[in-house]
Amino acid sequence: MVEDNSGVSFGEDKNKAKKEIKHYRTILNRVLRFYDVNYRRLLFIPFIMLFLAFIVIAIQIGKSGSFINKDVSLKGGVTIVVSHEGKADLLGLEKKLSSRFVGHDISVRAIKKAGKQTGIIVVADIDGTSKKELDSFISSLESFLGFKLDENQYSIEIMGSSLGASFFKETIIALLLAFLLMSVVVFIYFRTFVPSIAVILSAFSDIVVTLAIVDLLGMKLSTGGIAAFLMLIGYSVDTDMLLTTRLIKRKEGTVLDRTIGAFKTGMVMTITTIAAIIVALLFTKSDIVTQIMTIVLIGLCVDIVNTWIQNVGILRIYLERKNKMVE
Amino acid sequence: MKRKIKKIFGNIRVIILLICLLLAIVAIYPNPGREGVAIRNVIPNSSANLAGIQNPKPRTSPMKRELILAINNKVIRNMEDYVQAISSIKANRTLVIKTNKDVYRLIPKERVKIIELNKTEVRKVAETKEVNVTINGTLVVVNKTIIRTEEVPKKKKISLGVEDIGLRVYPAPKTNIRKGLDLQGGTRVLLQPEEKLTKEDIENLIAVMKERLNVYGLTDVIIREAGDLSGNQYVLIEIAGANEEEIRNLLAKQGKFEAKIGNETVFRGGRDITYVCRSADCSGIDPFSGCSYNGNQWFCRFRFVISLSPEAAKRQAELTKDLEVVTEGKEQYLSKKLLLFLDDKKVDELRIGAELKGKAETSIQISGPGLGVTKQEAAINALQNMKRLQTILITGSLPIKLKIVKTDSISPILGEEFVRNSLFIGILAILTVSFIIFLRYKRLKVSIPLVLVLVSEVIILLGFAALIGWNLDLASIAGIIISVGTGVDHNIIITDETLRGETRKIFNWKQRIKGAFFIIIGAYLTTTFAMIPLIFAGAGLLKGFAITTIAGISIGVLIGRPAYASIIEILLKD
Repeated sequence: MVEDNSGVSFGEDKNKAKKEIKHYRTILNRVLRFYDVNYRRLLFIPFIMLFLAFIVIAIQIGKSGSFINKDVSLKGGVTIVVSHEGKADLLGLEKKLSSRFVGHDISVRAIKKAGKQTGIIVVADIDGTSKKELDSFISSLESFLGFKLDENQYSIEIMGSSLGASFFKETIIALLLAFLLMSVVVFIYFRTFVPSIAVILSAFSDIVVTLAIVDLLGMKLSTGGIAAFLMLIGYSVDTDMLLTTRLIKRKEGTVLDRTIGAFKTGMVMTITTIAAIIVALLFTKSDIVTQIMTIVLIGLCVDIVNTWIQNVGILRIYLERKNKMVE
Repeated sequence: MKRKIKKIFGNIRVIILLICLLLAIVAIYPNPGREGVAIRNVIPNSSANLAGIQNPKPRTSPMKRELILAINNKVIRNMEDYVQAISSIKANRTLVIKTNKDVYRLIPKERVKIIELNKTEVRKVAETKEVNVTINGTLVVVNKTIIRTEEVPKKKKISLGVEDIGLRVYPAPKTNIRKGLDLQGGTRVLLQPEEKLTKEDIENLIAVMKERLNVYGLTDVIIREAGDLSGNQYVLIEIAGANEEEIRNLLAKQGKFEAKIGNETVFRGGRDITYVCRSADCSGIDPFSGCSYNGNQWFCRFRFVISLSPEAAKRQAELTKDLEVVTEGKEQYLSKKLLLFLDDKKVDELRIGAELKGKAETSIQISGPGLGVTKQEAAINALQNMKRLQTILITGSLPIKLKIVKTDSISPILGEEFVRNSLFIGILAILTVSFIIFLRYKRLKVSIPLVLVLVSEVIILLGFAALIGWNLDLASIAGIIISVGTGVDHNIIITDETLRGETRKIFNWKQRIKGAFFIIIGAYLTTTFAMIPLIFAGAGLLKGFAITTIAGISIGVLIGRPAYASIIEILLKD
C-alpha cells in the first residue's frame, strides 16, 4: 500500500473518478503520515481510555460495592421464560409483581421474533430454593397473566444466593488464572520482555475498558457474560500475536510497511468476527447469547485501539531503542 | 487446473482432513428422514414393563435407542401419531407395539376408582354403648345395645379408562449428537452436601440417588460429582425431557424415614423394610377413609402395605407389649400411636389396632395424607406423596443431608426453538463471513477452500462430540462460535502470509507457511491455556464451553489449518 502511495503521480488525469481516487489516496496518505510520525502522542489515547475506565469502575464499586452489576445468575434469584403468543402488558405486570413482592428487584421483558412478541422473560431476585416463596411467586405471576402456566411452556432457572456468590468468585478466579496462563504462554513464546508485556497490557486494557463500558451501559452480567471476557482474551491475543510477530520477527520493509501489512490482515480478522457477531445479535432470542455477543463486540472495538495504537506504539518505541543500542 | 485438483486430493494433509470428516459423519450418523418415536423411559411394573420393554441404558447413543414404529399395525411417524394411538387404546385388550427391535404384546390395565355418589343409602348399625341409667334411684352404668339407622354415602366403582401403559417417548433422534439440557428441555438440579464428603461417601450418595430415580422409573439421567476451584462439592443431576418438579423433591430429601412409638424407633426406611407394595390391590387411595372436605380444603388418604424384617417386627412386639388398650367408638386401639417421621418431620400418625399388641407382625399398612383445593388435586397429591414415600422406603436414606442450590427446568418447546434459531444464525454467520472473505480477496481460489475447510472443521467437532457422547448445550454452542471465529482468523493469517510472500517473492513456500504457523500456534496456545481454569471452576457448569472451545481450536490447528495451507499452496503456486 505504501509503495502504491509513495509514488503518487497520476499527473493531469481527466478522468473524474481517478481524481477522486487520488484525492482519497492523499487523505489516506496524510492519515498514514500522521500515524507514522505521531505514534508516541497517539499513545495517550489508549492510556487515557484505560485511566477513564478505572475511574468508571471505581465509581461503580463505590455505588454498588462490586465492580459489575450482577444478574440473578451471580447473586441468586429466579428467571422464568414463558412462551406466549400475543400481547401482554409487560410494564403493568412488572408493576404488579413489584408491589406484591416489595423489596425485590423484578424485571419483565418481551421475547420478540420479527417484531412479534413470542414470549415473556421474568427475572426476580427472590429466593427460589425456598419452595414456598417460589410457589407464591409463580401463582401471582399466573394470576397477573391471567392464565395457568403449562409445564411444557415455561422454563425456570433458580439460583441459590450462596451459590450465586460462589459462582461469581469462581468465574472471576478462572478469569484471573486464564489471564495469568495466557501471560506465561506469551512470555515463553516471545522470550522478550517489552513485546510480551505489550501483548499482555493490550489484553488487560481490552478487558478493563470493556468492563467500564459494560458498567456505563448498566448491563447486568451473568456467568455467560464473564465467559465472554474470557473469549475476549482469545480474540485480543490473536491480533496482538500477529502484530508482534510481523514487527519483531520479520525484517522486510519499513516498520510502517509491516504495521500496515499486519493491520490489513488484523482488520479482516476483526471485521469477519464483528460481522458474525452482528448476525447473531440481530437474530438470537437467547438472553445469554445476546449478552456474550454484545460484550465481545464492545471488546473487539476497544481492541482495535489497543492493538493498532497502544501495542504498535510500544513496539515501535522498543524497536527504536533496540536499534540505537545496536548502533 | 485438473492437475491441481488431483494434486489437492493426493495431499496427505487434505487426505487426513477428509478421513476425519468421513469418520465424523459416520459418528454423527445423520438420517433426516427418520420416523417413529424413541423410548426414553419405561415405568417399572407398568404394562409396558411387564410386556418386556426394557429401559434404555443411560449411555446408549441416540441412534441406537429403541424406536416404536407401529402400534396395533398403525404406523407411528411422529409424536402426534403416538399420542393419537395411545389415546385410543382400550383396557384389557391386547396392544401390539412394534419397535425396530422386537414386537411386544401389552395388556393395558384398567384404572378404577371408588367414588362416593351424591345418593345415600340407609344402613342399620348395631352399636353397644355405655349409658347411665338410674335404677331405683342409683346411677349405674349399663351396656346397652342400640340399633341405629345411618345414612351413608353410596359408593360405586367406576372405570376411569386405561391405566398409563408406562412409556415415556420423544421424537426419533435424527443424528447421534446428544442435545444438552438447555436444547432439549429437562430438569437440572445442583445439590450441595451440608458437610464435607469423602470420595466413597459421594459414590454412595450417587448410587442411592440413581436407585431412587430407577425406582421412580427414570433411567435417562446423568448424576455426577462436580467441584470447583474453591474446593466445594456438588452433585449435579440432569434429567432429560421432562419438566418434573416432583423429582427435585425426591432427590433433595435425605429420606430418613423413621416409625416411632413414643420416643422409641420401631423401624427405619431401607434395611428394616423387606417389601413395599406398589400394585393397585394393596396401595393407592385408602378406600375406607377416602377423601373428605373440611370447609376449605380437600383431604385424601393414601395407604400401602409394607413388610418388615423379622428384627423390626420383634422390636414392634417389644414396644407394644406394655401399652394399654383403649376403646374408641367401636374400635379398640393401643394407647400410643405409631408416628411416622420423614427427615425428622412428622408426616403422619397411625392408630395401632389392639390386636397387634405384643405381636411380631411383619405386614404393616402405612398411610398418609394429600391436600388440595379440589378433590382431584388432593387425590393426585396423595398419590404423589405415596410414590415418593414408597421410593424412600425402598432405597433408604441418603448418607448426608443435601441442599438444593440451583435448579433449572427448561421447556422442551423453548429448547427446540433454540436449536432451530442457532442453526439459522450459524448458517447465516458463515454466509456473511464467506461474503466478506470474498470481498477481501476477490479470488474464489482462496475463499472457497477457506469456507469449505471451516465447515469441515465444525462437522469434525460435532462428530467428535457424538463419538465421546458429549452433550451439546448452550455453552458448547458458544464454544463452537469461538472455534469458528478463531478458525476464520487463522485462515486469514495463512492466506495473507502466503499472498504477501507471493507479491514480494521473498520467501519460499515453506517459509511463508512456517511464518503463518508461528502466529497461529502462539494464538492457539494462549487461547487453550486461558480456557483450562474454566474446566474446573463453578461446579463445572461452564465446562462445556471450555472443553468445546479447546476441542474445536485443536481440531482446527491440527487438521483444518494444515489442509487449508496445503490447498492454498497448490492452488496459488505456478
